[in-house]
Amino acid sequence: MSPILICRDCDAVYRAIPLNRGDVAVCRRCDAVLARHFGVDIEGALALVGAAAILFAIANLTPVLSIEVAGAQTQANVWFAVRSLQQGWISVAAMGLAFTTFVIPAAQIALLFWVLLFARCGLRPPGFAPVMRHLHRMRPWSMTEVFLLGALVAIVKLANWVPIAAGPGIWAVAALTAVLALLGRCDPASWWSIAPGVET
Amino acid sequence: MMPLRQSLELGLILCRTCGHAVLRARLEVNRRCPRCQSRIEHRTPLSTEMTLAWLIAGMVLYIPANLLPVMHTSGLLGESDSTILGGILEFWRGGDWDIALLIFIASVAVPLTKFLAIGLLLFTVRANSRWEQRQRTTLYRIVEFIGYWSMLDVVVVALTSALMQFQALGAAEPRAGIGFFCAVVVATMLSALSFDPRLIWDRRA
Repeated sequence: MSPILICRDCDAVYRAIPLNRGDVAVCRRCDAVLARHFGVDIEGALALVGAAAILFAIANLTPVLSIEVAGAQTQANVWFAVRSLQQGWISVAAMGLAFTTFVIPAAQIALLFWVLLFARCGLRPPGFAPVMRHLHRMRPWSMTEVFLLGALVAIVKLANWVPIAAGPGIWAVAALTAVLALLGRCDPASWWSIAPGVET
Repeated sequence: MMPLRQSLELGLILCRTCGHAVLRARLEVNRRCPRCQSRIEHRTPLSTEMTLAWLIAGMVLYIPANLLPVMHTSGLLGESDSTILGGILEFWRGGDWDIALLIFIASVAVPLTKFLAIGLLLFTVRANSRWEQRQRTTLYRIVEFIGYWSMLDVVVVALTSALMQFQALGAAEPRAGIGFFCAVVVATMLSALSFDPRLIWDRRA
């Protein structure tokens, strides 16, 4: 018997059919995406996660933007941005920014790496259910692409007054946005089938 | 084509966290998903109440977010406080209409659209309306998708304050408005996440 799919948005029940590469199953009634073809295999996904980890490190260790005026230089990346908001209770915004552009993306990369590494070795990752549950819940709060757009706006905004330059970090953020988007396009529902011994 | 059936008719229930279809008969007393261990409910409990509560919180916070300055700048041209709308106007007058438009969309159009759209969804669900169910579900997905782009202004203010640290030439510091604005984004996102779109399709007697 083929597995059952239930629409997240309107609760209609479907019988799943096998999908080919690039296929997307859409709800007949409300157009919600029911399922996607997995897209990449475990090794491909592992390679993407590895790339994401390296890009994330570069983005956080090198300046995304920098300004040099009369010998004085300032730099900024995610951490500088977060620190500049740590003033009194504006720190609420610092926390929001730190979570959405650092903590959540870092956790996504680490947890995906954990799951995929075990799956690659044909093992069921320890803590598989809670890890996957948290990956599902984190998705709406990951905002690397918003940070990228913000950095671009800041360049245009400040370029009128000061010589502002993009550092290596901005390319890393741009590439990280693309890699995370690719990983996000892999159907999270089918991630469940990568580990052996899991009921799907 | 076979007519569509609701999960309840077939004795099934969906785990909205992981997308697993579970047989109701197999659900244990603790109502946890056998696959991901999340709590499963037929409909998100208190969905409309939570959505409304976060929506009101977002709307209330949106007032100080717009009235209070988000950034303080000082430099050769003197000192000034700028609000979100003031910043947009400044770009507009300075000829940077594209940046003005971008910040306007992220900081004004997106939050206002969210307030209106979530308000409409709540009102029609409470009224048990059958009006444009498909389009309303699409509206919900749009709200879910655009929500986090409002964080843009927080990023821009934070980066500007981090970079502009030159006493004589110019320095920028964040102000209270940006804290409220970040809270608006979080509240409206929680509002959208609390909404259960399946309510649009339910027929209550």
